[in-house]
Amino acid sequence: MTTVATRPDTARAAAPRRRGRPPGHSGAAGVLLAPFMVLFTACTLIPIGYAVHLSLYSERHSGLGFGVAETVFTGFGNYSRALADPAFVSGFANVAKYCALYIPVMIGISLLLALLLDSALAKARHFFQLALFLPHAVPGIIAALIWVYLYAPGISPVLDAMDSMGFQIDILGHPLPAVVNMAAWQWIGYNMVIFYAALQAIPREILEAAEVDGASPLRTALSIKIPLIRASLLTVVMFTVIGALQLFTEPMILQGSAPSVDSSWTPNMYVFTAAFQRNDNGLAAAGSVLLALVAAGLSFAVTRFGRSRAARAEGGMS
Amino acid sequence: MSISFRSGRVRLASVLASSTVALSLLAGCAGGGGTTAAAPSTEPEPTGPVTITFWGWAKGTADVVKAFNDTHTDVKVTFEQIPSGIQGGYTKIANAAKAGNAPDLFNVEYASLPDFVTQGHVADVSSLVSDDLKKKYLPQATELTTLGGKTWALPLDAAPQVFFYRKDIFDKAGVTAPTTWDEYRTAAQKLKAADPNTRIGTFFPDDASPLAAMAWQSGAKWFSTQGDAWKVDINGGDSKNVVDFWQGLVADDLIRLQPSFSQQWTASLQKGETAAYTGAAWGGGVLKGLVPDQGGKWAIAPIPTWDGKPASGMLGGSTFAVSKNSKHAKAALKFAEWATTTPEGIQARIASGASSMFPASPALVPTAKAAFKVDFYGGQDIYSVFIEAGKSIKGNWTWGPAMGTTNTALADGFGKLATGGTLNSAVESAQKATTAELANRGIKVAQ
Repeated sequence: MTTVATRPDTARAAAPRRRGRPPGHSGAAGVLLAPFMVLFTACTLIPIGYAVHLSLYSERHSGLGFGVAETVFTGFGNYSRALADPAFVSGFANVAKYCALYIPVMIGISLLLALLLDSALAKARHFFQLALFLPHAVPGIIAALIWVYLYAPGISPVLDAMDSMGFQIDILGHPLPAVVNMAAWQWIGYNMVIFYAALQAIPREILEAAEVDGASPLRTALSIKIPLIRASLLTVVMFTVIGALQLFTEPMILQGSAPSVDSSWTPNMYVFTAAFQRNDNGLAAAGSVLLALVAAGLSFAVTRFGRSRAARAEGGMS
Repeated sequence: MSISFRSGRVRLASVLASSTVALSLLAGCAGGGGTTAAAPSTEPEPTGPVTITFWGWAKGTADVVKAFNDTHTDVKVTFEQIPSGIQGGYTKIANAAKAGNAPDLFNVEYASLPDFVTQGHVADVSSLVSDDLKKKYLPQATELTTLGGKTWALPLDAAPQVFFYRKDIFDKAGVTAPTTWDEYRTAAQKLKAADPNTRIGTFFPDDASPLAAMAWQSGAKWFSTQGDAWKVDINGGDSKNVVDFWQGLVADDLIRLQPSFSQQWTASLQKGETAAYTGAAWGGGVLKGLVPDQGGKWAIAPIPTWDGKPASGMLGGSTFAVSKNSKHAKAALKFAEWATTTPEGIQARIASGASSMFPASPALVPTAKAAFKVDFYGGQDIYSVFIEAGKSIKGNWTWGPAMGTTNTALADGFGKLATGGTLNSAVESAQKATTAELANRGIKVAQ
């Protein structure tokens, strides 16, 4: 009885809310969102939930360990083990060092190239745009393999040539610059395209005004162009930092030739080693959750920072 | 290493997605660790031909499988070549086992067998392996496949250590094959003096197994059991002697630091800048494949020892293990037994030309000897060297139940050698990491 009585009430209550929207709108949104939600749930939410679940358990043996293991709930035990492990923490330190070296180099060069392309000086713009972008089209693994070949003494034609000229450098002994070089090669062209697109969007009258006022091309670049593409710069920095946290392929490939890259050189490598060399899924899951939290926190901070700066910049313009 | 897990650097993903990639790639691979025990002994007698799947990487395996399939109708083997264990093969097997689609049979080296057993990926085949069969293998090999009083695998080869050297380079420098480690050091100095680019050998900073074999040879016991507890002694006195010796060679630039089987190492062999290799019997086929154009220049001698008396550890060596959930344990063992104890099985492997392994079954050594073409070694009777080396393998060595952790800690320590790290700190950290790992897994450790 009661259910019958309440049904019309709910219908009536819902009706006014719908009235404001165009008819059929919510149905279309549902249909359009459904494929995304299904994939998002299956490929992101469920795996996260499962990883969190794994991170709370450990395998326990007894005696010599040849019997059947039991899975026991250890709460945050895996998390405290990861955080107490200097190898895990040093992975983050390596990423920080990598960012400190990589971001200025990569941003600096791609910005310079974008400004050159944007300036009146550049000839054959389309050719250079394509040529500089090409490295990005090479899959990361293949690029890493080729770079390692170029780094290896005794095989590398580049090192051999330098050797015959009297220069001897041990690139494999210095994994940080080696990885930065690989990443810069791959990403400079890509980020240059982003910067170039942003530069192209700058209203031409502003640049003309600068010219009329007698600003040199250098002055125009430093005082007009770069401040106006700050939003793109921040976006690129954010994605680069997040990408750096997930650094894996390049050091992993490099490890085969450069033993100074240890098994936990980056946080992702630590997780990989825990899962696949040490067979400790709980620890690996805890490491991934911590890594994800750091990435999320960092992204949030950069986005907030970027938005407030961009808002202020826009306010200043108008 | 399985590169395919790599997510790609997420550039244009949302904040949420970017932070979750690491999670989903792990969870996608981790799989359930369910350990349902299947008793292999209760399987019904199969009717008609049984098809088993087999994963391995040992040289010549494809030929062995073909020879078996050509002569057998009751069991058919489907072979899949996988990367060697350390290069990702073990990860592949373990992942498949967790996902419930492991092959019926797989190769696993002695050192990794305890790891696989403790993870619950290997079937206990005690009831299917008769004492007569066990007697066909070298006792040292049987020892290593028996853990906690149960049989877990059939041994394929024993891997006695031997010394490979370039006879022409040694002759030119006026050096003979060293019989003691002191002579090895002197020979290293003479070779370097004769040509500043020549080194007597290589310390592989990515691979812990050579140091383990050297420690084994010197009488160390990294692992042993006391009742139901493990004793871990990676940093003990005998190991320390070995560590100090190799540390001295590294410090004095008498050997190179190059990853095992890397492009750099191969290039230095090709150029004749590395004049020797402290390996094991199976290295004979591998070396021949790496530098085929140096035929006739290489020779094999017993591994140097501390006191001049023959002694050897084992460097590598493979077994056949049946996976825990295999429904065809009997058929899988039938193939494994054929491949390890019959002249046909050994003949097929060695005749492939790629393998110079030393059979774990001594009765088959003459078969292997007759099948291996020794022109690469200038016609030298290399199997006689292997036989003597095989006899000198020290018994009572046991591999630990967490060699993945032990080896990772050692290799991480070795990686610091080029930048001022020491072998001593590597073994100390391996000792610490291993005991901590065992305690963490709830495995008993004796103090």
